[in-house]
Amino acid sequence: MRLGMVIDLKRCMACYGCQMSCKAEHGTPPGVFFARVLKREEGHYPTPRMLFLPVLCNHCSDAPCVSACPTGASHYAEHGIVDIDKDKCVGCRACMMACPYNNRYFHDERRYYFGEAGPTPYEEICSDRHPEGVVMKCNFCRHRLAEGKDPACVANCAAKARTIGDLDDPNSTVSRLIKERGGFTLHPEAGTGPNVYYLAP
Amino acid sequence: MNRYDQLIADLRSDYRPQREWGEGRGVLMVVGHFLVGIAGGTWLMASIYGVTAGLAVAYVLAALGALAHLAFLGRPERALGMMRHFRTSWISRGFVGLALFLVGGGIYLAILLVASGSATGLVARTAQAVAAVGTVVIIGYMGFCYTASKAIPFWHSPLHPALYIAYALRGGIAALLVIGAAAGAAASDGLLQLWIGVTVVVALFFALEIQGAWSGGNVAARWSVRDLLAGRLALLFYGGTLALGLIVPLALLAASTAASPAVMALIGLASAAGDFFMKLATVRAGVYRPLVIPARRQRA
Repeated sequence: MRLGMVIDLKRCMACYGCQMSCKAEHGTPPGVFFARVLKREEGHYPTPRMLFLPVLCNHCSDAPCVSACPTGASHYAEHGIVDIDKDKCVGCRACMMACPYNNRYFHDERRYYFGEAGPTPYEEICSDRHPEGVVMKCNFCRHRLAEGKDPACVANCAAKARTIGDLDDPNSTVSRLIKERGGFTLHPEAGTGPNVYYLAP
Repeated sequence: MNRYDQLIADLRSDYRPQREWGEGRGVLMVVGHFLVGIAGGTWLMASIYGVTAGLAVAYVLAALGALAHLAFLGRPERALGMMRHFRTSWISRGFVGLALFLVGGGIYLAILLVASGSATGLVARTAQAVAAVGTVVIIGYMGFCYTASKAIPFWHSPLHPALYIAYALRGGIAALLVIGAAAGAAASDGLLQLWIGVTVVVALFFALEIQGAWSGGNVAARWSVRDLLAGRLALLFYGGTLALGLIVPLALLAASTAASPAVMALIGLASAAGDFFMKLATVRAGVYRPLVIPARRQRA
């Protein structure tokens, strides 16, 4: 089984639901976004339009971050999910330089959203999951998948623009969407075999 | 700008500069690469020219470079784990090479110093061979670390390893010039000519790399070149690399009829400083590959 995601850009309305639900699920520090939405304005009056691109780790089949990691902290987990073993990471950041999708973050020091007021009770709980001096990234919410749930960004997408499933199964929803709607990946020229596909707007 | 505001500003920009290597504590990584590169070059040159003091200097530089690398890591206490993935990771290969160099070079130097310049026994030869393997690795691995960085198109060039090897050789010659000057010896014409030759090679490789990045199809690589030559890093490049690393040594060389020890030392130090600024500038010029938002319907 090879887990992958399809994001329908026609359905996405850039509500940032994925970004916020990811932050809520993982309690990531300020400035860290495992899932984020890029926006760009295109064209001129009277026909301008907004373009959106939700991005996250592409969980590549031939992930350069895994090859570049000197300790094996970046590794393939079950179903091809690329994850980081935070107990092995030395914080050399080679993986960040290897990832063509810029979806890794280095947690250099503990920061909280309310500065001098200190951490909220929620931040106190979540900050224990993110040790300092190591790199962090999206892991397709492995803990939720283990419980039979969808990743937070998929479950909370109001427009149902995100679908997760088995890319190796030709009859899965993700495989059918990619085939029928001409799914494409970002930076195919990097040759990393990304497992996040997009459907054109 | 504080770290959070910087992160947000970077995430919003079309061409996001990499800041992990080369800024803040990341400068230690560049310092580490600089010292280890010079160490490899110095060991090689000192072995060729038979300068025992050069071997000792190379060893000290490598040890300092290793410390700089450790200080850069987020979790230096786990550094031994970096030996595990040498089959795929250039950083791991570099770590193994540096360890071989420090162990082999340390034993060889110790025997050499105890035996007052004669080290012909089996242990000495083995240690020398181990150090030689380490030398080859530490001279070569750095460029490959950058070439393997698919996120940064400016570094993702096949010329980068050749450039870093040339830097290491230039650094080694510069170190021998300084060591020779410290000993009060006049510079041999051969060493100065070698410095000129390697400098020409470095300049040629660098010009080719810049030309390749500028004329290639990648906008991020072009952005890096613009940053380097006419943007946020221009002062570092023109002042540090060109003026200090190239023009000053060449002017000293042209102005002095006889290469006095003081001139030799200045040439060596300026050359090494120029190499450091060149490495710092090219590392800081790294810009992440931009994520392009598809505007029209595309078919896979």
